[in-house]
Amino acid sequence: MLKSDKGTSAAPLRLGSGLERWAERHLRYLMLAPTVLILLALTIFPSIYMFYAAVHRISPNPDLPWEFIGIGNFARLLSDGQFQVALRNTAIFTIVAVTIEFLLGLGLAMLLDKYIRRLTFLKTVLMIPMMLPPIAVAITWKLIYEPQFGVLNEIMFRLGLPLQAWAGDVNLAMFSIIVADVWQWTPFIFLLMLAGLASLPVEPYEAAALDGASSWRQFWDLTIPFLKPVIAIALLLRVMDALRLFDLVFILTGGGPADRTKVLSLYIYQVAYRFADPGYAAAISLFVLFVTIVLSTWFMKRMRLAE
Amino acid sequence: MPMATTIVTRSRTRETVLRLSAYLTIFVALVLTLFPVYWIAANSFKFDIDIFAVPPEWVPRNPTLKHYDEAFIQRPFLRYALNSFLVAVGTTTISVIFGTMAGYALARFSYPWQWRKQISFWILSTRMMPPIVSIIPLYLFFNYFDMLNTKSALIIAYTAFNLPFATWMMKSYFQDLPVELEEAAIVDGDTRWGAFLHVALPLARPGLAATAIFCLIISWNEFLLSLIITLTEQSQTLPIGIAGRVTQYSTYWGEISAAGFMACVPIVIFAFMVQKHLVRGLSLGAVKG
Repeated sequence: MLKSDKGTSAAPLRLGSGLERWAERHLRYLMLAPTVLILLALTIFPSIYMFYAAVHRISPNPDLPWEFIGIGNFARLLSDGQFQVALRNTAIFTIVAVTIEFLLGLGLAMLLDKYIRRLTFLKTVLMIPMMLPPIAVAITWKLIYEPQFGVLNEIMFRLGLPLQAWAGDVNLAMFSIIVADVWQWTPFIFLLMLAGLASLPVEPYEAAALDGASSWRQFWDLTIPFLKPVIAIALLLRVMDALRLFDLVFILTGGGPADRTKVLSLYIYQVAYRFADPGYAAAISLFVLFVTIVLSTWFMKRMRLAE
Repeated sequence: MPMATTIVTRSRTRETVLRLSAYLTIFVALVLTLFPVYWIAANSFKFDIDIFAVPPEWVPRNPTLKHYDEAFIQRPFLRYALNSFLVAVGTTTISVIFGTMAGYALARFSYPWQWRKQISFWILSTRMMPPIVSIIPLYLFFNYFDMLNTKSALIIAYTAFNLPFATWMMKSYFQDLPVELEEAAIVDGDTRWGAFLHVALPLARPGLAATAIFCLIISWNEFLLSLIITLTEQSQTLPIGIAGRVTQYSTYWGEISAAGFMACVPIVIFAFMVQKHLVRGLSLGAVKG
């Protein structure tokens, strides 16, 4: 922070016109303004507009006027079985996928930290999945899961295990989505945990070792507390991403079979564009937005990320 | 874990076992990480009949460029790739320019009534907004202004998601730069804007490069917004083109493998270019990398 904040406009002699002097004095606002205005236009305006849409019945026929129905669309949420299925699927996916990614990522980071800390190239190779286009990841896994000629069933066959339909199987579809997501995003947790581990102070561990603390105790009493801020960021970003899951489901299962992988994003997409009911889709979107805001605000306030 | 002192008390065999299991884990992780990428590449070079082979052909026996010809010459994947590229460059340019200014303003200036904190928090929270949520109003908005199926519409929509990212990333970089050099420039008669332009900006060049590459990657990979906003060949991006060849009845495996693999190649190159900045970029600058 510049201490001379207020004095800066007085110092320079070069300032010519009054306009320039004005711009210099209000520089902080001028530099911030484009971003704030763009984001206001692209987030606040849609949110208001969506609220407006959510209280109307919007006919697929553009010539018909919007009919005001108050909380009608929101009331529908309560009795909409498909919405509840989508909500439950999103919850299952988010909890299971993020938990696996977190445990795997943290475990791998703990195990490998000492051995690959300097091997930047190797680390970057392990990071490749999370940078790839989700659509490319989805078709890759579609190819692997293919029941007739896919690699996974070949492996099952060689192991003498029963062949499966994977993404096409009612009981395995969600599992298949989760595996693909874990493949893509475990490197992200791994990377953040490695960065966290690299910044741990050495002294407390030396003291703990002198006191005869077991590595297990050191892990719980030192490593976890020190890593807490990094863990918080990693989980926050992953949970936010998991809540908006779309691409993988769109390609791998299309929400099926029997709606087992229909998640909220996909359901909103279907309501808006396949069932041509944007008013109701807006109501569901507002619900998702509400959940996202509550979750992320709680998380960020709790972890003091905004500072 | 830094446990240098505990090693003394540990037997040498235990250390060897740990080391071996770590190397074994690295090996397994590498295989699991790279196999799917290899597999899509391998299939893109196979004739259809070899793609469907049971048991699978682990290495293409009859490599062919047929599917690359199909996708990029006979079908419009080159067009899709060009669209992806143009949209990514447009989005990145806008996001980096405005994001850098905003990031600098948030890193260096103070504002009344704790605005700095509030605005930072609000900008971050817009990043958390699920794209599906803003899609309906954006669609109606672009429809109203007759902008559906245009690259400008995609650039506007993508900017909503890249600008918060660029702002936070650059804010984090500027916060790490010493303010004294800028103060010295001002003392020497430079303006506040001049100090930003001539002193801070050149110092932040690595951060700028990393931010730009991340914005390029995010835009290049984006799917949902493009799926809604574009319906024509002239405006669709690569991921939409690929998804379009996965239909309910048949999937053009060779073609989408070729296009999918080509969509991955620039990303992998970029990933190696930003490897030093990976952590900071992916955690919105919150963790120093």
